[in-house]
Amino acid sequence: MESTLAIADLASLGYGLAAIGPGIGVGLVVSKTIESIARQPELAGRLQVTMWLGIAFTEALALIGLATPFIF
Amino acid sequence: MTRATNNNELFKQVLKQGTLLGLAIATLGATLGFLVAGDQGTVSALIGAAIAISFNGLTALSVWIGSKLPIGGFYGIVLGGWIFKIVLFMIAIGLLRNAEFIHGPTLFFSLVAAILGGLSIDAIAVLRARIPIVETK
Repeated sequence: MESTLAIADLASLGYGLAAIGPGIGVGLVVSKTIESIARQPELAGRLQVTMWLGIAFTEALALIGLATPFIF
Repeated sequence: MTRATNNNELFKQVLKQGTLLGLAIATLGATLGFLVAGDQGTVSALIGAAIAISFNGLTALSVWIGSKLPIGGFYGIVLGGWIFKIVLFMIAIGLLRNAEFIHGPTLFFSLVAAILGGLSIDAIAVLRARIPIVETK
């Protein structure tokens, strides 16, 4: 019973860790894009596409991290 | 593969190719899953591929729709969409984790394959695109 609870606690911790890293990553990508658009608004379209690629790669980590309970 | 010359073409291309890739991985995953774990494997592979491709597609769609809005609306849609997706994903994982019709490893590997495939499509499409640096309106 106790070991089951401990594993459940670890899984909750894992969920949090899997979300917090990519959360910080996406925040950084977005903040730098906002800075860049403020400096050069005419580049907004191109910067948004680059930002999208950055977000896609970062959120892949979150999805993989959150899906790990299926293999443990 | 054609080269996108503006943002609309790029996002259309990514969404179309992402859907095709999702169908391919779902088919392959369902076959392999059936060989590994029977019906459970088939269902798990289909769910894994569907989750990954829909999430990848939602990201591209949110940036595409957001790019037509003012800058505040853009970030609202992109970041709000991100939080929405993560919460939805956590609920889906919570519901599916102990479901009897799920074979965990098949779902996981199908999900990871679809995510990595989707990222490859995104990266190749952006690298091949020839979008003018300054777009005049």
